[in-house]
Amino acid sequence: MNSTLATVPPPPRADEPAAAVPAAARRPRSPDAFKHLVLLLLLGISLFPFYMMLQISLKDNALFFSSPWLPGAPESWQWQNYLYAIGLIFPYVANSVVVSVTATLGCLAVSVGGAYFFARYKMPMSGFLWTAFLVLMLMPSIANIVPLFAVLKGLNLLNTLWALIVLGIAGGLVFSIYVLRNFIEDIPKDLFEAAEIDGASHLQQIRNVVIPMSGSIIGTLAILNFLSTWNDFLMPLIVLRDPEIFTIGVGLIYLDGEYVKQWGHIMAAFVIASLPLIVIFLFTMKLFIRGLSAGAVKG
Amino acid sequence: MAAPISPRKAWHEWNLYLFILPAVLLIGLFCYFPAASAIYHSFFRWSGGEEKEFIGLKNFYDVLGDGVFWNSFWVIGILVVSNLFKLAPAILIAVLIHRLKSERWQYLYRIVVVLPMIVPGLVTLFIWKSFFDPTQGALNRFLDLTGLKTALVALDRAVGWGVFHEGIPIAWLGEPSLVIPSLILWGFPWIGAVGVLIYLAGLQSIGSEVYEAAQLDGAGPWQTFFHIEFPLIMTQVRLSLVMLIISTLQGFGLQFLLLGQDGGPGGRGMVPGLWMFNRAFLAGEFGYACALGLFLFAFILGLTWVNNRYVRVEKT
Repeated sequence: MNSTLATVPPPPRADEPAAAVPAAARRPRSPDAFKHLVLLLLLGISLFPFYMMLQISLKDNALFFSSPWLPGAPESWQWQNYLYAIGLIFPYVANSVVVSVTATLGCLAVSVGGAYFFARYKMPMSGFLWTAFLVLMLMPSIANIVPLFAVLKGLNLLNTLWALIVLGIAGGLVFSIYVLRNFIEDIPKDLFEAAEIDGASHLQQIRNVVIPMSGSIIGTLAILNFLSTWNDFLMPLIVLRDPEIFTIGVGLIYLDGEYVKQWGHIMAAFVIASLPLIVIFLFTMKLFIRGLSAGAVKG
Repeated sequence: MAAPISPRKAWHEWNLYLFILPAVLLIGLFCYFPAASAIYHSFFRWSGGEEKEFIGLKNFYDVLGDGVFWNSFWVIGILVVSNLFKLAPAILIAVLIHRLKSERWQYLYRIVVVLPMIVPGLVTLFIWKSFFDPTQGALNRFLDLTGLKTALVALDRAVGWGVFHEGIPIAWLGEPSLVIPSLILWGFPWIGAVGVLIYLAGLQSIGSEVYEAAQLDGAGPWQTFFHIEFPLIMTQVRLSLVMLIISTLQGFGLQFLLLGQDGGPGGRGMVPGLWMFNRAFLAGEFGYACALGLFLFAFILGLTWVNNRYVRVEKT
């Protein structure tokens, strides 16, 4: 809005945000203070469930019923809720990590290869295959769920984590290939030719040219794929039977149904279920935000 | 663009096909084959195993006379319309963040907007489910605390709904007529993080000279919004609108988690996807579920086509 101010932002003072802006830059009758008020109010309400999750996770039921809103005094914090919750859902978290990490890596490996195929040369058939892939982005996938069960049954993958891994790989492929192809095509052709003259095979060209040049986009796609497998609960619900191989999604559904409600235990379990994503977020904030905006195009 | 290649060179580079092979196999097996299988099996009585019996178009006739299925379109229609209104908070938040003078604050707010996304959606949903709990839930406690419950009871007496009663906790997910309101209410204030991010990206493309010109002409904040900001993010709004409609039509995870496989009390929260899931995995009628899936598929595809054909936004 005001480009001169935008270049060097003044250090914001937490207590009086509007005062950091010179009075001359303010528009009359709409000072930033009002915007901050609305933003803080709305964002505060939208974060309220997570506040409740955190504070209830440290209470026992008695304390929760007598004072539901405010966190208890530090000496009343029930850390054993967390110990209990870890014992309860740690195996689920571990299964989810295995599935999401393997599926993400697999999906990226297959997509980089596929995108390289489309991006390097107009090979015979590549036009046809490209259309066949892209059509899937427009198609609703709802009718596939029921027959997928039969396919997995036929492959003897029911009640295994492999089923979720292959579905995770296949599910992210089209979008990842679509994004990566455009990216690889923008890499200068000279780089590939130089590598080829040096006798590099296609695999070496991918390793030494494509991957170093597209690190950030691969990171973005990795986050998107990880999020979608981590958050999926429908396929795991259909596919998995044995509690030992439950992923976090089914595990939480199971908890919600079976459990005599000890709210502290449940909320602590929710916190632990969110931890891996929180760790990823802390390390890759920029990629994460970019990934979410890019995911919008995915539909 | 990919470089053109002569047939001889292509022959020489045959091993390039090895790079696309895994993708072709996976997509063939897990995307195209199930689709074909859905069409094929919709003509059969089939319970997911080897045995099946050809019954011609019977499944499709049954779908046409399936009251639950067609009723579920009313539910989904109400949810789609309410989701349209839920786009507004994200637009408001994006415009407010964009209009802040300090870039530091813009960045901070952007992170706060994204924070809910790092909690799995399932967890958020379950926290809301705990809010809806009649006796221990935060929602009823809040209504009691603020006296809003008394207001609701008074309103109920005046209008004659027969839903809210003095001294009886409100069963948000247990009372048939409250099921749809609860499905709409959850997630308040409905700030879609992805929405805010793409609107912000759109808003950032507005040059500061546009704002300066508007200011010179004496445009107030509302005029600036309706004449400059909203038209310029119209493309993004339309994009999220389309995605929203399609995902609402296909989705049934929300209803499944909050209400269970039968769509809650009286099946009031039954949506088409959930009915398909219910028929396949509860009733074991896989063939029938395939036919339901195809109807839904055709319906969504039709909407997508209408949207691409007629709902064009002029790019200015």
